[in-house]
Amino acid sequence: MSRSFLKSYRFRVFALMAAYIAVLFFVWPHAQSATILPVKIALSVAPTLPVITVLWLMALRVMRSDELEQRVHLMALSVATAAVAAVSLVGGFLSASGVIHVDGDILIWVFPSLCLSYGLARWIVGRRYGGVGCG
Amino acid sequence: MKNRLRELREKQVWSQGDLAERLDVPRQTVNAIETGKYDPSLPLAFRIAKLFRLSIESIFVPGKD
Repeated sequence: MSRSFLKSYRFRVFALMAAYIAVLFFVWPHAQSATILPVKIALSVAPTLPVITVLWLMALRVMRSDELEQRVHLMALSVATAAVAAVSLVGGFLSASGVIHVDGDILIWVFPSLCLSYGLARWIVGRRYGGVGCG
Repeated sequence: MKNRLRELREKQVWSQGDLAERLDVPRQTVNAIETGKYDPSLPLAFRIAKLFRLSIESIFVPGKD
């Protein structure tokens, strides 16, 4: 992957996450007071647009990575997916049997949890190959 | 798998970065191959062999399995 692509990638992700925070604090709160259904839906899902664009950029980054970097991404994604799936499954069963009480809002935390566990897993896996994909 | 990549690179007086640039891979990939932490794919092994004008088997030697 070229340095210019990585620099541009980082800048775009930073700008999109800044947009996400702005939408979350200044646009999304109006969703609850909106009365027209299409507007309510649009305002409700508005914060997801920058995040989905970041996901697309992440996919581009993986596709442009070399074979070892792709291996690190794959291993890290596998670990992150397994970790989030395990926690979701345990939480889901605990909630279904009434041990804990969680509502649908908790789904918002699935993506950040995946990102966090992926970042951690990538760092650990990357160290095994001398720091590949840690940048 | 063992390899002679470091030896061949040093013979050319190339840094890991120089070799990485010639192979179009990150420097970390060259380092991982040289230290035996990563075995390259067949296409990359062919690129390495072509760059040094050697056969793959003269660069990469199978280790004990």
